[in-house]
Amino acid sequence: MDMGLWFRVQAFLTHEARLMDDQHLEEWVALFSDDVRYWMPLVTNRTGRDQGKEISTYGQVAHFDENKTSLSNRVRRLDTGMAWSETPPSRTRHLVTNVEVMELMDEGVVRIRSNFLIYRSHLEYDLEIFGGYREDYLRPQGDSWLICRRDIILDQSVVTQKNLGIFF
Amino acid sequence: MKSHFEHLIDLTKGDINRNIFSDPETFELELERIFAKCWLLLGHESMLPKVNDFFTTYMGRDPVIVTRKADGTIGCYLNMCRHRGNRVCRADSGNARAFSCPFHGWTFSNDGRLSNVPGFKEIYLEKLDIEAHGLVPVAKIASYKGLLFATFDNNAPTLEDYLGDMAWYLDMILDRREGGIEFLPGTHKWLVHTNWKFPVDNFIGDSYHGPVSHKSAWVSGFEGMPLRKSGYGYEGFQVNPGGGHGFGTRWAANKEEVFEMSLPEFRDYEKMRLDESIQRLGELRGLHFSPMHASIFPNVSLLWQGGAIRVWHPKGPKLTEAWGWVFVDKAAPDDYKREKGLHMLQRHGTSGTWEADDVDNWVQCHSSSEGYVARRYPQNLEMGLGDEITDPSSIHPDIRGKLGRFQSEINQRGFYRHWAKMMDDATAPSVPDMSRKACS
Repeated sequence: MDMGLWFRVQAFLTHEARLMDDQHLEEWVALFSDDVRYWMPLVTNRTGRDQGKEISTYGQVAHFDENKTSLSNRVRRLDTGMAWSETPPSRTRHLVTNVEVMELMDEGVVRIRSNFLIYRSHLEYDLEIFGGYREDYLRPQGDSWLICRRDIILDQSVVTQKNLGIFF
Repeated sequence: MKSHFEHLIDLTKGDINRNIFSDPETFELELERIFAKCWLLLGHESMLPKVNDFFTTYMGRDPVIVTRKADGTIGCYLNMCRHRGNRVCRADSGNARAFSCPFHGWTFSNDGRLSNVPGFKEIYLEKLDIEAHGLVPVAKIASYKGLLFATFDNNAPTLEDYLGDMAWYLDMILDRREGGIEFLPGTHKWLVHTNWKFPVDNFIGDSYHGPVSHKSAWVSGFEGMPLRKSGYGYEGFQVNPGGGHGFGTRWAANKEEVFEMSLPEFRDYEKMRLDESIQRLGELRGLHFSPMHASIFPNVSLLWQGGAIRVWHPKGPKLTEAWGWVFVDKAAPDDYKREKGLHMLQRHGTSGTWEADDVDNWVQCHSSSEGYVARRYPQNLEMGLGDEITDPSSIHPDIRGKLGRFQSEINQRGFYRHWAKMMDDATAPSVPDMSRKACS
């Protein structure tokens, strides 16, 4: 295992998480490539022969299915000062762990996985801990990366909080 | 003498007593007098394309399984083993001929029959009344042009009578193109800490809140259809067809105005499908009405051109589970359907840039109405009272129902009027009889 690569990936994800938690969202969205696919599928409960179909397929209705434009627009909305459901903004704490370099792909792209626990507190009592994992494709950019694809699997079938108004 | 619930709603002034949103006894009574009597939305026939397909949902707070039986018809049953009440199906959806209870192994085929009881001979000594212990079926199940409804009340009117003129208006979705609609696969499900009536009355007639609640979405690239104008009072109506149902619509004088109200990415499709819709539905429903929002009594809401339909499942006086689907014309091309799905999930549903701002409003409206003092002051739903359009046929001869101005609370008042009427009707719902024959 290339420890140097693993360390740099870990540092990149840690920095990315801090940008979200400190609400530097314009800097955060700049970490994504112009052709990014940012996707959080639906997760369902399945039994018997239907096990294995819990996660919706790409192209179906999802929680998030964003390109660079819509992701940027989501950030723009928060900057208007009129996004009432995020006024005041949610307090988030993104804990990113279990980082693994899964595959070295063509053109230096690295496929990685990480787990997340996101503590999210909003207003007085709205509190949730979201758990799940992300599979990211990192494309080299200078001495860092751009995220050109992010698949987010949220470990919930019914979302138990009022909205997914934060980023993952 | 005013009855118990009618006096909580003063429609001469538009006053609504806040207790109805938080009182636990009222909620329990709603389960009996509203949810056990009304026709409730299960989903759409397109959710069960193959024989033995099933999905689970709720009718009120009762969990049900909806199945495509071997004969092709659709059944709906309480998801409850008749032994000790365990859920026999814990999946959201799938394909199965039968459901086995994981407790003692009672097995029910997907038409509700109790098909196997382990130890029936050795332990029950064949005394168990098999026929009386199948899954409890709904009293009635029906489809209006693909939209599936069911009721637990044997005395309920037919679905067509229940929907009344709302069915005629729903044709603007269900019958605007050959083949009707389908639901895209996938259900948004999320919990909201509010009373179910808040979201329903928001969608039934609140075209007043858009410019404030949703401004941030409008200006950041998440506009909705039909396009809104800024300001108030532009051309459109709240339509109240009775039965507790209602919707709001913009008005298009001609085809150009229809196209102006569509988003650029959907305009080509609108141009392509409009003549067919006018031909199928006539000028009022096919051309002039560009509907925006609606609710079907008691707990279904939709955004006509946003392609969103949802059920607000009542979980408690302060808890609602929202389920949302995307619907599209079946005849539409695949890239349009994909675009519609994206359009919907970015505005509505779990991460929706519109929905989020709505939800916090409902939650805070509820939480501010829990105090003793707060509950002594009524909610104000007086907008447009006395300014109804007294002669709807002067707008168009085909209009059915009552009409209010575009921003007016006529539909919210209509919803609570019907709610109070049903709550004051003490006739018990006539649920299916599952009584046993005498033991022999």
